[in-house]
Amino acid sequence: MEHIIQQGLLVGVLATGVRLATPFLLAALGEMFAQRSGVFNLGIEGIMMMGAFFGFLVTFFTGNPYFGLGSSLIVGFLMGLLMALVSVTLKAEQGISGIGLYMFGWGLSGLLFRLYVGGITSIPGLGPLHLPVLSDIPHIGSILFNHNWIVYLAYLLVPVAWFVLFKTPWGLRVRAVGTTPEAADTLGVSVNAVRYQALIVGGVLAGLAGAYLTIGQANMYADNITAGRGFIAVALVYFGRWNPWGILAGSLLFSMADSFQLWVQVMGITFPYELAVVLPYVTTILALAVSVGRVWTPAALGRPFDRGSRG
Amino acid sequence: MKRLVLYLLLIMSLVVFTACGTQQASPSKEPTKETPKETKSEKIKIALVLPSTMDDMAWSQSMYEGLKAVQEKMGKDKVDLAVSERLGNAVDAGAAIRQYASQGYDLIIAHGAQYQNVLKEIAPDFPKTSFAYGTGFQAGPNIFAYDPQAQEGGYLLGVLAAMMTKSGVVGVVGPVEAGDAVKFNYGFQQGVTKTKASVKVRVAYTGSFNDIVGAGEMAKVHMDAGADVLTGSSQQAVGAIRAVGERPGKYWLSTDMDQSKIAPNTVLAAQAYHWEKIVSKMIELRKQGTLGGQHLILSFSDGTLELKYNDKLADKIPKEAKDAVEKAKQQIISGQLKIELPKK
Amino acid sequence: MTQAINHLEMAGITKRFPGVLANDDVTIEVQAGEVLALLGENGAGKTTLMNVLYGLYQPDSGEIRINKKPVHITSPRQAIELGIGMVHQHFMLVPTLTVAENVALGLVTSAPVLDLKVVSKKITEISSSYGLAVNPEAYVWQLSVGEQQRVEIVKAIFLGASLLVLDEPTAVLTPQEAAELLNLLKRMAEQGRPIVFISHKLNEVMAVSQRVTVLRDGRVVASVKTEDTSAQELARLMVGREMTPRRREGEARPGRTVLELRNVQAANDKGSLALRGISLEVRASEVLGIAGVSGNGQRELAEAISGLRKVTDGQVFIGEREVTNRTPDKMIASGLGYIPEDRLHVGTISSFAVWENLVLKDHHRRPYARSIFLQNGPIRSATASLVGSYGVKTPTLDTPTGRLSGGNIQRLILAREISRSPSVLLAAYPSRGLDVGATEYVHTKLLEARKTGTGVLLISEDLEEILNLSDRVAVLYEGKIMKTLPVSEANERILGLLMAGVA
Ligand SMILES: Nc1ncnc2c1ncn2[C@@H]1O[C@H](COP(=O)(O)OP(=O)(O)OP(=O)(O)O)[C@@H](O)[C@H]1O
Ligand SMILES: [Mg+2]
Repeated sequence: MEHIIQQGLLVGVLATGVRLATPFLLAALGEMFAQRSGVFNLGIEGIMMMGAFFGFLVTFFTGNPYFGLGSSLIVGFLMGLLMALVSVTLKAEQGISGIGLYMFGWGLSGLLFRLYVGGITSIPGLGPLHLPVLSDIPHIGSILFNHNWIVYLAYLLVPVAWFVLFKTPWGLRVRAVGTTPEAADTLGVSVNAVRYQALIVGGVLAGLAGAYLTIGQANMYADNITAGRGFIAVALVYFGRWNPWGILAGSLLFSMADSFQLWVQVMGITFPYELAVVLPYVTTILALAVSVGRVWTPAALGRPFDRGSRG
Repeated sequence: MKRLVLYLLLIMSLVVFTACGTQQASPSKEPTKETPKETKSEKIKIALVLPSTMDDMAWSQSMYEGLKAVQEKMGKDKVDLAVSERLGNAVDAGAAIRQYASQGYDLIIAHGAQYQNVLKEIAPDFPKTSFAYGTGFQAGPNIFAYDPQAQEGGYLLGVLAAMMTKSGVVGVVGPVEAGDAVKFNYGFQQGVTKTKASVKVRVAYTGSFNDIVGAGEMAKVHMDAGADVLTGSSQQAVGAIRAVGERPGKYWLSTDMDQSKIAPNTVLAAQAYHWEKIVSKMIELRKQGTLGGQHLILSFSDGTLELKYNDKLADKIPKEAKDAVEKAKQQIISGQLKIELPKK
Repeated sequence: MTQAINHLEMAGITKRFPGVLANDDVTIEVQAGEVLALLGENGAGKTTLMNVLYGLYQPDSGEIRINKKPVHITSPRQAIELGIGMVHQHFMLVPTLTVAENVALGLVTSAPVLDLKVVSKKITEISSSYGLAVNPEAYVWQLSVGEQQRVEIVKAIFLGASLLVLDEPTAVLTPQEAAELLNLLKRMAEQGRPIVFISHKLNEVMAVSQRVTVLRDGRVVASVKTEDTSAQELARLMVGREMTPRRREGEARPGRTVLELRNVQAANDKGSLALRGISLEVRASEVLGIAGVSGNGQRELAEAISGLRKVTDGQVFIGEREVTNRTPDKMIASGLGYIPEDRLHVGTISSFAVWENLVLKDHHRRPYARSIFLQNGPIRSATASLVGSYGVKTPTLDTPTGRLSGGNIQRLILAREISRSPSVLLAAYPSRGLDVGATEYVHTKLLEARKTGTGVLLISEDLEEILNLSDRVAVLYEGKIMKTLPVSEANERILGLLMAGVA
């Protein structure tokens, strides 16, 4: 009996952790593109909230989670565009604009929820996706490969993001404008256009991360549903050193630690809960602290581009 | 130019924010300029400060509905009601409370244990105003402390859980280990183990009052680990209920209010708080000239707490389970049954 | 290459910046097969004019004509498409990308995937046909300035440049590299390209150009055929007076040792050993010249002394105190002044105002600060007098330093470093990028510092500069001091042999 539980614990921790990492992965990959292009978008949390809300709202009215998902992506797009307008075109201080975007997202989603829904309500969510061979592996299959498709998509996006960043002309432009925008400019690359694009990609992915919360995870909406996940995603971009694989590692570390503490608590293993709930944060910070090496940051991060100002 | 747009954006967010944060529930929008003394006899102005939102299907909504019921009973023109939401942070709440007090509100209810200290600070400056908060027991000259005996309902739900579980494992999705939640969980644990010693109660905390996604995930883990009857408190619990509702054959036991709407086939029963009775009592005391100083208890003995079954699932609960719950309830009311509480 | 540029004319160009008239009705002309040299003091408006040509700035008035047809160049993209290639005064390369990636960045392609192999292949072709050795796979941050220069030229050719603009390309090159570049430019001109060449070195201008246009304070003061003029005349046109080279005067009366290195070793950015046991001594009131072809450890030496690079073995002393691997601020406090090689990025903070950069190192000390407060009055009057006495051309004290012309940034650093009267002054290529007038001025200032007791360590490739200023000369070759000799025993030939590693 104990043996089975032990084995179950390991599989359980893994399966839960894999699932929990999804929104962080999506949002952080998006934020990575924004920061790689030189814009620090602290408004991810607000975009996620709006994505979560519109995913919920449209599903609520249409009964079809795919319509909900689609509208989350659109809202993410628009929020990314708004951030670009304020921080790239108007060159407003990026930290402040990000906080503004966050407050805007929180406020507006709350207001619209009150106006159009008016109470806690359930919606249909995305069911688990049955993977032909993997899901049929006895015992583990049903636990490890029993997620909805956004989860798989998020993991798939890691190599995709890597490829886009390092192997495509667009990725090259993103990397260039985030480091030496003046140089990119002299080569005819429109620095601001690339930053717009990167912020929009970031917005869409954050919108998707938000949609995952409402139609993939909770199947409902409540005020402040993101509960700080967007901010954690921003931190994970630093943790991952602006690299998709690093971000994957960070998201998994954080989520596995979270999953582990959940299981430890639930299995009744004696452990002070106060320590348990901070475990993911502590683990991640410790990992960051002990990982040696000089930290590289996109050199132009946070700096609006202005041709006249030279180096 | 760019500054301007930035400010515009900030102002826009603030407008959206406050529009959402403060709801004037009464038709008369502008707070009247008259002094509270003159209006007291006919009209009472009540302000409610909430940690989450008034539609959270839990702690905050239950109090809001209690106030609406009072307003309904006394007449809309007799009760002026203002609500401020999302003030989980006691410092922000303090600003709102002070604002209400200086606008001449008669009774200001700050609905949470965390507001005790802010009230202690503010109340002396407004000696004619009544303040209230809870869960708590330390009152002040013009502060009421209200105190639901959550452990009573917790105990009864624990009895029910013990009778209903098939797997022999029941799970608790707690928010933060404090106040109301701890009392409820203590009662629940005792209810289970006193009924069936073999049933395992697994108590876990999410560390947050409002993270419904996190609570949902914790419920899933509870179920993966074998629990088939679950409970939990605070507004995060709605996420857990939804997660349990996803899996047939698993049940949820509610507290704060009847939450069966979220998952009609899952919520077996609920401990409901009848705040309207407590609020009416405060209004009555105030009329008699008592502005505070009382420790008001909600309990099964005076009907301010109540156990509600979900009609839809009535036939799923065997008679002996209901009988056991009823017996325990009578023992609690009569004082025969003492439920232990954590030592301070 | 869409269309070959046979003739380019910029007519009546005027460009105004807040407080500065950078170009005032400037007209230049260049044709295929010809090198036009653009001359002018620091801040005369050369770079601005070329940035207008490249679409980076829009002129307030004036017209650009290519092959006699007026064109509107509103962006660098358009300039590239018209066949204009530019090697900027401050290199426009992304250090974190490889050479091939830097080049590919300028390609307009609809291909969804980068094909760096093709790019690398073409780079290799260009580099062999023009004799510009570059490794397409190398990261730009690993390259020496000379190599970066080559990358810039390859990049321009790769992108189809017909007309080539080079803004002070030789300022950062070793004499050998500069000579090679001049040959290349001549060859390219012979192949039928128009070339605009900006330089402060009059001998280069005389050697390579067919025509010279001289700018002063944003206006054209002369446009002459090279064969009809001389270096002296050009210098006079530029500065408006006769020039005489500065030399140290009087016998060296060296005092106590102010800087000493004992067996110092340090690695370069690539991790290999760049300093292989350097020992040297600088005494008060003397100039020790470090001659050598750049890339032989000069950068590492300067950085090791100033605390910017880790010393892996050996010791550094300033005065009596050992300061090995101390932080730069400790070095400053011990009495080190530093004129760095990369003045735009290391020496100043380009977004800071002129006055801020001037007090950067002393802002927390009296009279600039009392307790925690900056003293605006003393700061303003002190910085204003520095700007005046060092001839820094700036519209106001509050102008961001990045907006100054290259030469003026250099003056600003000199003003700050020398006025702090350090016990030892480390000057790395102090006249690089300066016009003849400013060079003369810098030399005067360095010699003044020597006179007042400062020990000067002068790193330079310019042998004339070394021989004119130094009391002793040390030759750096592959991370080692080949030999140290009194200047009386040195001449260009001996130094040249030592610099080539032939003892
Ligand atoms: N973006 C800008 N904003 C404001 N002023 C500028 C800007 N660019 C150049 N200037 C000013 O215009 C004048 C001409 O500068 P420019 O860079 O063209 O000189 P230069 O001839 O290239 O000098 P150098 O030999 O030092 O490179 C200078 O006074 C400079 O301060
Ligand atoms: Mg210039």
